[in-house]
This record gives sequence, structure tokens and C-alpha cells, in this order.
Amino acid sequence: KMPHNFWCYSDCVTYLPTEMRDKLRKWREDNSRNSEQIVDVGEELINEHSSKLGDDIWIIYEQVMIAALDCSRDDLAHTCLQELRRQFPDSHRVKRLTGMRLEALERKTQQPKNPPAARKRKISILKALGKSAEAIRELNEYLEQFVGDQEAWHELSELYINEHDYGKAAFCLEELMMTNPHNHLYCEQYAEVKYTQGGLENLELSRKYFAQALRLNNRNMRALFGFYMSASHIAASPKVSAKVKKDNMKYAAWAATQINKAYRLAGRGTKENKCSVKAVEEMLESMQITMS
Amino acid sequence: MPIQLTSQAYCKMLLHAAKYPHCAVNGLMVAEKSKDKKKDGHGEPVLCVDCVPLFHGTLSLSPMLEVALTLIDTWCKENKYVMAGYYQANERTKDTRPNQFAEKVAARISEHHSEAAIVMVDNSRLTTSCYEPIIHIYDHSENKWKIREVTQECFEDWSEAQKITSALLEGRSYENLIDFDNHLDDLRNDWTNPVINKSVLDLC
Repeated sequence: KMPHNFWCYSDCVTYLPTEMRDKLRKWREDNSRNSEQIVDVGEELINEHSSKLGDDIWIIYEQVMIAALDCSRDDLAHTCLQELRRQFPDSHRVKRLTGMRLEALERKTQQPKNPPAARKRKISILKALGKSAEAIRELNEYLEQFVGDQEAWHELSELYINEHDYGKAAFCLEELMMTNPHNHLYCEQYAEVKYTQGGLENLELSRKYFAQALRLNNRNMRALFGFYMSASHIAASPKVSAKVKKDNMKYAAWAATQINKAYRLAGRGTKENKCSVKAVEEMLESMQITMS
Repeated sequence: MPIQLTSQAYCKMLLHAAKYPHCAVNGLMVAEKSKDKKKDGHGEPVLCVDCVPLFHGTLSLSPMLEVALTLIDTWCKENKYVMAGYYQANERTKDTRPNQFAEKVAARISEHHSEAAIVMVDNSRLTTSCYEPIIHIYDHSENKWKIREVTQECFEDWSEAQKITSALLEGRSYENLIDFDNHLDDLRNDWTNPVINKSVLDLC
């Protein structure tokens, strides 16, 4: 075990607890700010010889705590503070020390300026802890600075969807569609959000964006199904004019043909998929009934 | 109306959760249509013989869920099944309560079929051995979802279920599990999971 007074280890002198205690007192009286030495001596004194210190222990806890903050030894500062709080629960002096520790901690988290990767990690942690509201707030702040970060916009849209805040999710997806007009996935996801929001206007919007997604990628099955479902619902709505109903029935019929085609193509040669094909045909037939 | 799970239903649920450990997953549970026309006797358990894994990731959007429910409904009629419940594993492993979305889906199922149950998979206890059941079952009574104590009675044969699930998890069969999302990505993916069903049968 290394002697505690490593700063003069060449002497290889070990101090007695009484000597350590006297050193600490001297440093207190001189108001020396040799925090590292104080931490070194004080920590050993507290851990190994606390029983020998009598009532001095409390002032030593205070002295060591302050020095520990200086050396970024929050663990030690916390231990000392806990002992003091236990012994002097209502002490104003102890409250002041608590404040000192919090200030030191705050200074640490504020500098250096958090680089983007660290901020994103923080957001992931908030998410993992279930603190969705905070994660959302942080992500919004982050996006004010890094407005072009698509991954972040997408992440935010997902957070909003999980919180059932579809309006704000739509806003994020609108940002993404603006900057990525050829991305069929964003169109399709936006359409899904609008559909979920419900109401005739949103259904019509969703149908338009499902259609757009299909234009960008005619093999996007979600877009095809979505187009079919939204058109079907519009056609079945009692609030629409005869013309709108007729148009949407046409759209739905077209989509149904495409869906059937896609399933037949996929099911070619496989026995198992026959049930899927049949199920789809029946589903489409039953929806036709509800529409007319 | 209490539900009971077969080995096939239980293990496919867990395989789904294991395939997407970083996501929320959900699915439907189906039971055989009872030939008895009258309402099931009090306390008579409903045996969930199978489940259909639905989605992973963002669960809370309607259109694809509607497609899945309609399609699976048709499939159920073909096979003389009824939808008996809904399962969900949340993204955050410490969160095992059914959320608003789970309640909505279960209510939807209950509209057309008798009282549905919600099964929540406890991700935090998902391991390859699974010596204990890692699900929570919620029944709907008096307009509330109440948790029911999960015992071996909730399974048709717990020791068989445990052995099969453990074997398939260890053998990484979850890599072959197909959910409805996979099906929408490629229609050739069969959400009835014949391959996994066969593996289960082989292990019985």
C-alpha cells in the first residue's frame, strides 16, 4: 500500500492519523487551497481513522467536501455531504454546501458545449428512460440548431406518433418531404399519419399522398393498400357528393385490381400463399359491399 | 373470459419480441371457433391456438392495422378461428402496461368477437431459457383492464411451451419469423408462419 503522502514519497514517511488531522487543521487556518492534498489526506483519514477524530470529523468532512469539488471528485463530495446532512439535518451551513455541490455539477454539464453526437446520445437515454416529453423537448431544441438533420426529424416524428400527437408528427414529415421530394417512404408515412388523424379532409389528403408514394415507387404495398383503404372510406362516407363517391369507387376498384395482381404474382408457384390471395380477394369483395 | 395459450401461440409471441428487441411489437391471438352456440360457460377458458405477429416499431398508426385486421378476419373465417386477443411488447423493457393503443385494438376485436384479452410480453425477462412465463394477461371487466395472475394454468401445457420456446430461441428461429410488416415489405413472406409452425410441431 502506497504511503498517503505521495507528494514526498521520496522521503517514504508515513504520517500518523493525528499528524494528518493536524495538517488538515493547519490548511484550514491558513485557508490554503491545496485541494489535491486535502483530498488525499482527508480521504484516508475519513476512510481509515474516522473513529479517532472525535468531533473534528464534521469540520473535516466540510473541508474535504469543498476540496473534492475542486478536484472533480463528486463521489467523495457526495459522501461527505451525506454524512453532514445526516448529522445536521436542518443546518443552514450544510444547505450552503449542498448548493455549492449542485453549482459545481451544473458547471460540469454545461461545458464544454455539447457536440451533436453527445446531444443525440442524451436524447436516446431520455427515450430509454421513458422521458418522452423531455426527449421531445431536447430534440426540438437540437433541430433549431441542426435543422438539416433528417434522422433527427424522423426520430421526432416517431416520438410524436408514439405520444399520439399526430399533428406534430405530420409537421415533421412535411419537413422531410420538402427536403426529400423523391422519397416514397416519407410520403407514405405522412399519408398514414393523416389517415390516423381521421376525418374526411385528412382521408382525402392521405389518399393523395398514398398516390404520390405510388407514383414514386409503384411497388410500395403499404401505399397501394393505403390508397385502397382511403378511397374506400371516402366512397363509403355519407358526407360526400355523388361525384366524389363515384370517383373514389373508381380509385378503389383500380387499387383492388393492382392488389390482386400483386398477390397473384407473389403467390405464383407457392401453395401456402394461395390462402393470402384468397383472403385478399374476399377482403376486397367485402369492402366493395360496404362501399356501395 | 380467461384465455389459455398453446405452445405455438406462446412461442411465436416470444420469437416476435426476440426478433426485434429494440422495438415495440404486437400481434393478434386466435382461438378455434367454439361449436357451441351459447356463450362460453363461466370460467371456461378460451384456448388460443395460434397468434399472428403484426408489426414492429411504430405501432400507433391505423391504415396497415386495418388492412391486417380485415385480412386476418377473412383468414380466421376460412380456418374456423376467431380473434381472441391482442399481444404487445413495449419498446422500453421496464414498461409492461397496456397503453391506450392496446386498449383500442382490444376493444376493436371485442366488437366483433367475444371479450378479447390483452397479453403484454415482459421484454425485461426475455432470455433463452425462459423458465417462467414472461407475460402479463389483462382481462376486461367492469369497463377496466384488470391484470390476472399468470400461472401454469394459463397454458395448455406449460412445460412443453417452455421447452419449445427455449429451444427455438436458442436456435435463433426468430430470424425466420414473419410478421405483417415483413409481409408488406415482400408479399411472398407468409404471416401464417408455416415454417415456424412446423418446427413447433416437430418439437412437440
